[in-house]
Amino acid sequence: MDLEGPMLETLVRRLAETPEDFLAEPRIGTAGRVHTAAVVGDLLRALGGPAPGAELSRFGGADAKLDRNRLSVTLVLCWLLADQWFVRAALPLDRVLALLDEARELAAHTAAAKFVADADRREEMARLALARLGRRPAGETVAQAQDRLTTLSAAERNRVLRASRAAEERARAIREALVRKAADESADKWGRE
Amino acid sequence: MSPGAEPSVADQFASAGTSADPPMGGADVDPSPGHADESTGGGEGGTTDADRYPTLSEEGRRMLRFLREHPHAPIYRNQSGNRLTAADVEHVRAFEREVAEAEVGWRPGEAPPWLDAFVERCFADTPFYRAYGSRPRHFHDVPTVSRADLERDVARFVPDGVPPGRLINFRTSGTTGHPLLLASVPVVAASYLAFLKRALRRWKVELTHGRGEVGVVLVGFQRTCFTYVSVTPHMDESGLAKINLHPGDWRDPDDRARYLDALAPEVLAGDPLSFSALAALPVTARPRALISTSMALRPALRGQLEERFGCPVLDLYSMNEAGPVAVYDEAEGGHVLVQHRLYLEILDGDGRPVAPGERGEVTLTGGFNPCLPLLRYRTGDHASLRLAPGREPVLVGLEGRPPVRFRTSAGEWLNNIEVTHALKSFPLAQFTLHQRADGGLRFRFGGGGDTGAIREALVALFGAGQGIEVEAGGLDDGKVVQYTSDLPGARP
Repeated sequence: MDLEGPMLETLVRRLAETPEDFLAEPRIGTAGRVHTAAVVGDLLRALGGPAPGAELSRFGGADAKLDRNRLSVTLVLCWLLADQWFVRAALPLDRVLALLDEARELAAHTAAAKFVADADRREEMARLALARLGRRPAGETVAQAQDRLTTLSAAERNRVLRASRAAEERARAIREALVRKAADESADKWGRE
Repeated sequence: MSPGAEPSVADQFASAGTSADPPMGGADVDPSPGHADESTGGGEGGTTDADRYPTLSEEGRRMLRFLREHPHAPIYRNQSGNRLTAADVEHVRAFEREVAEAEVGWRPGEAPPWLDAFVERCFADTPFYRAYGSRPRHFHDVPTVSRADLERDVARFVPDGVPPGRLINFRTSGTTGHPLLLASVPVVAASYLAFLKRALRRWKVELTHGRGEVGVVLVGFQRTCFTYVSVTPHMDESGLAKINLHPGDWRDPDDRARYLDALAPEVLAGDPLSFSALAALPVTARPRALISTSMALRPALRGQLEERFGCPVLDLYSMNEAGPVAVYDEAEGGHVLVQHRLYLEILDGDGRPVAPGERGEVTLTGGFNPCLPLLRYRTGDHASLRLAPGREPVLVGLEGRPPVRFRTSAGEWLNNIEVTHALKSFPLAQFTLHQRADGGLRFRFGGGGDTGAIREALVALFGAGQGIEVEAGGLDDGKVVQYTSDLPGARP
């Protein structure tokens, strides 16, 4: 975060205005429209680097149920990083790729559309992107930038932890209820299947 | 069934007082009258009759005794119940009215109006679907799910708002051999009747049974079978019995016909195997309908059963995951949908919708089980879908399991549906056809059918010189995978 980056508001506004093409369904198998690996390749070239196929292969997916949110978050990140400030900044591409890989973690708890529709998530994504690229928002000190990102991320992490604990507890209660009722087979119904 | 002035079967039993032979050999012990909250003592997991029949009246209790303690009753192996509270019963009655009046279907090229809100709700409150991320703009971009997803963790398909306390389960094994527990609640089980009533109306059958009468007997024919008695509160506590026709479940095999005649149920529910066994018994009772589920009912067997019992025989396409989906109506040329909040798609192997009228995998969205909202659930069954304005959708050429191709002696490929058509005149309860790697065919069947005539029909289809073994019997215990092949290229 030692270097100053663009105004945070610029990035947050850019996320809010993410075009439909970047919110479209990522291509997985024969379904979906947008080839995420191709979009990442375009981004890398726009940022001035090569886009080797070996690096891009991980931006594909095999199972829509598991991969679509990760790829959707990647597409939103690509849109953010295609901002002219990043294009002019001559960023190290390995750090860009590392940032794009963080889509997996972001996608584990947040639907991609929230990084566009929700103000806190927009700010989190914008700050996270800057931090991973060694930048801080223009006009902020390192301490301010770190503090705000930590606050946003910690709040979200706590929310996610609470939600996942509650979800796991509930799933366990459901599994136990089902196994308990397995002993005396349910309620009767007019049919055999 | 004896509606009207005649004394009901339970009344007749009651008039016999305690002179009826006591139940033997493991039949349930019924709680004393007036002690509905008392545990039966033999219940599983401490379940009491109060849990099984929360609204049970004295009349209902008398029906249970009649079913359990009849001198010709089978050895009931298990216990179950309707588990319906008074509020549940009202809910089920209201749902029956809704189903009776509902329009089923949607316009070609359009989705039903309820679909959008249903998908939204799935993404908002069902953990499994929520994990997909944002809801796709287009319905066809929603990922499909399969039985394997349910097997992994069915708990994640239960929406947030469903309290675990009243959950029940249905166990299904299908043809895969992997048992699957599905979450449900008592009103879902009770709601099956609403769809069956709708299906029966196609044959102008309105169910009339009520207090003191037996509504339905569910008939199985397996070495081991879950058997029990119950009452149906939303049909005025009419009786329900699930029995196994296998001789091992009876003190005297002749009791099977005697018991069924004594119960005189308005409806018999079973599958082609159990109905084949039933037809061979000297039952004189005349049900108003037979309902066949669980496996394909072939036209010749349906015709035989209709003649034998003098009533319509409904071939119901039903599954634990979704309940009754459709009923076969020859006049419509296929299975007519019965659920008004169930959307069907036909998908190809890649999960894309096929062109109108083409065959593919039946895929379901919606349903009436609040614990298991189905969002593009691939059933593994195949058919084409016929949509016409103002008509219920019809599944044409419904076949369970993915299609299998068979090679003729001339080297041509035949779809398994051609085998089904070639054999439709035989009263087969069940059959399997397997093609070995050397091209030889092995055909096994249960139920009626002349071995020589079946061989001729298969030779006509596959060509002279085709090696075919035809064997009767050996398929008497549950579902089977009907079509299999060792030949490369058999799965198109």
